[in-house]
Amino acid sequence: MTTINQNRPDFFRSCAIGVLIATCCMANAALHADTVSDAQEKIVKIYGAGGIRGLESYQSGFLISAEGHVLTSFSYVLDTDDVIVTLDDGRDFTAKMIGIDPRLELAVLKIEATKLPHFDVTKSVQLNSGSRILAFSNLFGIASGNEPASVMHGSVMAISKLSARRGNFQIPYQGKVYIVDAITNNPGAAGGALTNLKGDLAAILGKELRSADANVWINYALPIEEIRESVQAMQAGKTLPDESEQADASLAKSPWTIGQTGILFVPDVLPKTPPFVEAVNDGSVAAGAGIQSDDLVMYIGTTLIRSFRDLAANLKKIEDQDDLQITVLRNQKLIPLTLEPAGLSRKKIGP
Amino acid sequence: MSATLNIPTVSRKRLHWLASLLTTTWFLATAAVTVANDANELAVAEEAAMQAAVKNVSDSVVRIETVGGLEKVGKVLVSSAPTTGLVISEDGYIVSSAFNFIQKPTSILVTLPNGKRSAAEIVARDRSRQIVLLKLEDPKGKLTVPTATPADEVRVGYWAIAVGRTLEADTTNISVGVVSAVNRIWGKAIQTDSKVSPLNYGGPLVDIQGRVLGVLVPMSPQENTEVAGAEWYDSGIGFAVPLEDIFAVLDKLKTGDDLYRGLLGVTIKGKNAMADPAILAHAMPGTPAAKAGLKSGDKIVELNGIQIGRHDDLKQAIGRKYAGEVVKLVAMRGEEKLDFEITLTDRVDPYELPMLGILPMRVQAEEDSNLVVRGVLPKSPAEEAGLQPGDELIGIGEEKFSKLEDWFTQIADRKPDDEIQLRYAREGKEKTATVKLAKQPEGIPDKLPAAHDVEPPADAAKGTGLVEIKLPEEASECFAYVPEDYTADVPHGVVVLLTAPGEYKKSLLTERWKDACEEYDLIVLAPQPADDKRWNPTEVDFVRKTLDDVTRNFNVDEHRVIVHGHQAGGSLGYRFAFGNRDVVRGIANVDVTVPLRLQARGNDPQERMSIYIAFNKDSKLAKRINANAETFREFKFPVTMVEQSSEGYLTADEITDLARWIDTLDRL
Repeated sequence: MTTINQNRPDFFRSCAIGVLIATCCMANAALHADTVSDAQEKIVKIYGAGGIRGLESYQSGFLISAEGHVLTSFSYVLDTDDVIVTLDDGRDFTAKMIGIDPRLELAVLKIEATKLPHFDVTKSVQLNSGSRILAFSNLFGIASGNEPASVMHGSVMAISKLSARRGNFQIPYQGKVYIVDAITNNPGAAGGALTNLKGDLAAILGKELRSADANVWINYALPIEEIRESVQAMQAGKTLPDESEQADASLAKSPWTIGQTGILFVPDVLPKTPPFVEAVNDGSVAAGAGIQSDDLVMYIGTTLIRSFRDLAANLKKIEDQDDLQITVLRNQKLIPLTLEPAGLSRKKIGP
Repeated sequence: MSATLNIPTVSRKRLHWLASLLTTTWFLATAAVTVANDANELAVAEEAAMQAAVKNVSDSVVRIETVGGLEKVGKVLVSSAPTTGLVISEDGYIVSSAFNFIQKPTSILVTLPNGKRSAAEIVARDRSRQIVLLKLEDPKGKLTVPTATPADEVRVGYWAIAVGRTLEADTTNISVGVVSAVNRIWGKAIQTDSKVSPLNYGGPLVDIQGRVLGVLVPMSPQENTEVAGAEWYDSGIGFAVPLEDIFAVLDKLKTGDDLYRGLLGVTIKGKNAMADPAILAHAMPGTPAAKAGLKSGDKIVELNGIQIGRHDDLKQAIGRKYAGEVVKLVAMRGEEKLDFEITLTDRVDPYELPMLGILPMRVQAEEDSNLVVRGVLPKSPAEEAGLQPGDELIGIGEEKFSKLEDWFTQIADRKPDDEIQLRYAREGKEKTATVKLAKQPEGIPDKLPAAHDVEPPADAAKGTGLVEIKLPEEASECFAYVPEDYTADVPHGVVVLLTAPGEYKKSLLTERWKDACEEYDLIVLAPQPADDKRWNPTEVDFVRKTLDDVTRNFNVDEHRVIVHGHQAGGSLGYRFAFGNRDVVRGIANVDVTVPLRLQARGNDPQERMSIYIAFNKDSKLAKRINANAETFREFKFPVTMVEQSSEGYLTADEITDLARWIDTLDRL
């Protein structure tokens, strides 16, 4: 080590730090290898229904208890009585499904075995944007028998709300996810584990999805802290209600309507007709707020409005007793305006 | 011994990298303490360094949202997601990727990192690098301009972090990779393996010190459009336009003028850009190169002080340049070294091949004997100047040429309406005529005199008539009709016949084409589709292999190789012709329109092309076929339109006319 410093003294402000870092560089490779093999032991290969073109009959999962609880993704693969779980050591078990969460699209399976290496879902690490990660899964079903699962490395690209779709369908979970910059979400990878570089569990790999807006494939994982409660409930043998079809809580009970504002918009003839104001009724709340013809509605509250349809949909989220905050574009300037509910004065009258 | 030597070597590389980290104070402040205790020091240090680097630029990374515009551009479904931009000057200018505006939005809104919003307008575009400059209507104070990494500090293998602001408004999304290459896409881009996609197009590629290497864009070496290269998203092949280069043209863009790729207006000889020297095949008339005095045959050896050895070197040197820039060019003309100063242009008008109107005899008595006039095209400049069959061409002005190729080049270097002093000999007496070149003809002349006086062999040679072309590794069949009087002394034209689906019959091939083949020295090559009901666009490769096989085994006249397709076969014919310009000199299609999304280049002095289209005026396609013909004419291709007398394939007379059209393709 000292030889290097003598040869290239310009490398370092401080010799001591140089030696320190150099030593850890070499330790690093060995550390990774242990981390990886420890985590791989907890990953299982799951085989079930599918096998038709485009529908793989396998996926990934990981052990969450010494007694054989396996957390995995809830998918068609589990849609059979004959789900096989293959452990890292090559042992095969027929698994029983003991819990499902349709909203998170997760399931807990149980196999009859003991003293298994496992991740502890009561503990998990939180990652930040830029945190480096390892992803463990049996993507593309490459491993079989006692072959260990595949590992990939990358970084957390962002922590974001999931807005994604499968085909034309928006997926039910729209909460916080880790978006990663490694191409982790491949066929068979769903249900795999995402860890930090030390192998501490952080998240479970999601399915193959396209972003709803940007129309690109996204690689994401559900953070353990977002799913912990659900996993523990499933582990206790509960199947959670399917909330995906319940009414959208964001809708107002008595929303604003376009009629109430007194704005006349240009006719909605295109898929994305810009919401230009054609005219404003005299004496209306819009006139009172200062909206003028040729204004373009850009925001309702802080939500960007891209089209007339967008505007109509977003109005439905605002109670007609609340102020309506509209930002318009006029001569390339953004102008925030407030529409006060017409009935406000009446509602204020009371005992 | 070797082990003790190896370890320091590996470490040294890493140490070198770390040393560059240590020069920045924030690293010492935030990461050095953690390094001391954690078992995972390096990873932690790297992670902290990357996060600090991103933080350093994040005040310059803005979020862009658009309203209105198209849903789809070509096959690309336009995203409605937010995109990214980068502050480029503190008074409210933002750069982004042109990809983010392909939908031609009605309004553009920019959200600054502090959450403030402003409307924005596109000021100008750099159409060479696909960068857009935006101006904020109301920047609400001074913006933070990032620092560019100097070009000489960009090294392959250094960390490169792609940053966008699309997933969340208040934080950036990042992807970590390295610099994979520099000077990609003809010198215009840095390549990275970080994941580049619509999630960060328009955002910065950041180095480990928090400086900006470049602005992320989709790019492709083959095509230069806003969407080209977008199909490579997240593939590990991403591109960024160096920020230094953008700063260099910022003042120009601020004036509102778009920037374009700079063109010289030359074509280079040879087919292998990686091996062939940059010898001009043509300096097309009217282009900057021709105006500056460059001539065909000149060899470009230097551009702005950069040595040019191969054609690719020239592309690399010129690829970075914009229209309007002046380049200093050194060329060799024979032994003479010439200097040129050339102002590059943004577009070169389609090249129009001029015509003299002479058909040469195809077999010369001796290699360097004068070219003999076989025939003179009616109403052509040659006819007006009084040239006759049997005349011998000597040269133009003071120069003499005997080879057909030299004559082709001489004519091609000029343009219609140019006057030449044509020297020729009649019955041993030299004459001179002033000839004004004309446009290419679009009619088909009546019968022409024989193209050679070679006696046909007494007996049919072996391997003539209907012959099977067998290609190893190809399952599809292919037959050719070779005239029974074939002799290797006479160059033969090739008709690549692509039949309409379900029409492939060997007997029909002979029946329809035998007479024309014998009279006009043609070989008809008929590859068969793998599926009798349709042609697959990928079968162009099979067709090319069959043509190459014929070219190897017979004496083929390269000026008379045409593709002749009927209906769906014609569709493949267009694809084949425009994908194989190096060998195809004519297209003769029947009852078919040009396939959508076909990439076509205009006519070219080296890769000239004539087009014949037969159609039925009652066909539903007639209108679109006529529109196709107009487009071809705009690109300066001579187009011969033939109205069919009946439905289906050509009649016997029409085949004879087509054969005569082919017979004139080697005209001067």
